[in-house]
Amino acid sequence: MANWTEASKQRLQIVLSADTWLPTELPEYARGFMYMLGSLTASSFVVLVLSGILLAMNGPTSWSYNGAMRFVAATHFWGVQAFFFFMMLHLWRVFFSGAWRGGRGLTWLLGAIAFLMAIPTAFTGFLINGDLYSQWNAVQAKDGLNALGLGWVNLTDAGQMFGMHVVVLPLILAIIIGLHLTLVRVKSVVPPYPSAPILDEGQGE
Amino acid sequence: MKGKVNSLSQARDVAQDYRLVPEDFMKHLLLTLGIVAAMVLIASFLFGVPEKQPLTIKAYATQHPVAFEQVALRALDGQGQLANYGPPYNHGTGSVQTSIQSVVGILHPINAAQDFILRPLSMAAAINPALRPSLKAFASASAAQQARWEAAATTALARASDHNGAVVWPAGSYGPVRTLLAATLSLGRSGLMYGALTRDGAVVDRFDNQNALLFLQGSPLQTDPATQSLQGSAWGIIHPAINGYPGAWWMTVPTWIYQWPFVANSAAPDALALILGFVVWVLLAITPWIPGWRRLPRYLGVHRLIWQNYYHDHPGGQAGAIRGEGVHHA
Repeated sequence: MANWTEASKQRLQIVLSADTWLPTELPEYARGFMYMLGSLTASSFVVLVLSGILLAMNGPTSWSYNGAMRFVAATHFWGVQAFFFFMMLHLWRVFFSGAWRGGRGLTWLLGAIAFLMAIPTAFTGFLINGDLYSQWNAVQAKDGLNALGLGWVNLTDAGQMFGMHVVVLPLILAIIIGLHLTLVRVKSVVPPYPSAPILDEGQGE
Repeated sequence: MKGKVNSLSQARDVAQDYRLVPEDFMKHLLLTLGIVAAMVLIASFLFGVPEKQPLTIKAYATQHPVAFEQVALRALDGQGQLANYGPPYNHGTGSVQTSIQSVVGILHPINAAQDFILRPLSMAAAINPALRPSLKAFASASAAQQARWEAAATTALARASDHNGAVVWPAGSYGPVRTLLAATLSLGRSGLMYGALTRDGAVVDRFDNQNALLFLQGSPLQTDPATQSLQGSAWGIIHPAINGYPGAWWMTVPTWIYQWPFVANSAAPDALALILGFVVWVLLAITPWIPGWRRLPRYLGVHRLIWQNYYHDHPGGQAGAIRGEGVHHA
């Protein structure tokens, strides 16, 4: 059996390398606005984490009453919109690029899982805002979870939703995004389709 | 051999003739962070954050006294949505969509009559002892007698009227039910009912507002004009509570599925919409492994716009030699 330590060491030398994360050269095709969409999504996540830390530090009552904290809540709200907006544009870009080619299937899959996880992460945030939208969606969405046997997730329990939104879901999301970015950096972004005519139809399916 | 065929096929699918060009990646990252931060701050300054006043028990009791007593009565007689919901709250059958819901069982027990009405009233009786005889009379009556009072009250409340906030019942034999519902209305109007519903004698913190939210989850919230655009049948969650703001538009696909007649009319619409939405996501997630579908982008040709400059600079096709593993760590 191979030496696990050696194998881990070799892999980590790539994953933790500054060369991996801070390239000084990029492929010529990976320039322009289309190649900012992933970074814009990741940047939105950073804004969400920072504004979220400010909100969590002051607690749920602060963002309902305090003017300054309402502003922080606003940045968190618009950060979510930016996150999904850029993620959706990024998703379209990578789809039309066939970004899973060249052994990048797992990168695509992790991105898809990040998209899936982002939905309950955002949703639980809406549930602890304390307004009509929170109230309505907590009592409406519970029926779907209950029907699927997921009733232990109690959308009307603000304590559980706070924990889910502030710790559990963003932590999972951050790990998935981290793995996604690691693969993007290690495998690089997918090169274009060859400009030659398509001759290999049916091969490699 | 198979591996060699695959890598050859991959090579044909991925351009090899490209150059690496100098790039300040750190500047790129800080630029995108700056763009998002600026956009978010500007939007926050200009638009703030949407916050629609929730429907409180106090407001509903004050504005709709007759309807409030009807809601309280349905909790008391077991006819309410929550009273007859089923798992995870109780043994009812009204909202059981799937067998797995039954198998999972009761996780958050609710006895609507006790938890929503009688226990809050017994707390109120500590301040208003005049309530005690009515509570005692109701508790000591047989189930059949309680049901007769409740049936009479249901008929009466359908004809009751609101006179300056006082609910006027037609004459009839209601036992203690009329007094209990009037007391519930007073408790609701006082603003104290929310606290009574979220009471937990064992701990001092209040994290779980389940019962306070679920008390109003039926007709009070359903018929509230402010929730009409949020109804599932009206594309619900993708709409904001305040017009003009964005909602959870990323839920468009499952919300759309919810509109499909066979989903909307099924016995388990919520479960079906979520499962079908998940199936759509699975198809998206496994795109790289779906024959045919995974090749679609090449035929759609949008990539020619995305890599316009590249194709302009490389018009001649696969000019460079195949470079095996391609470029890593670029």
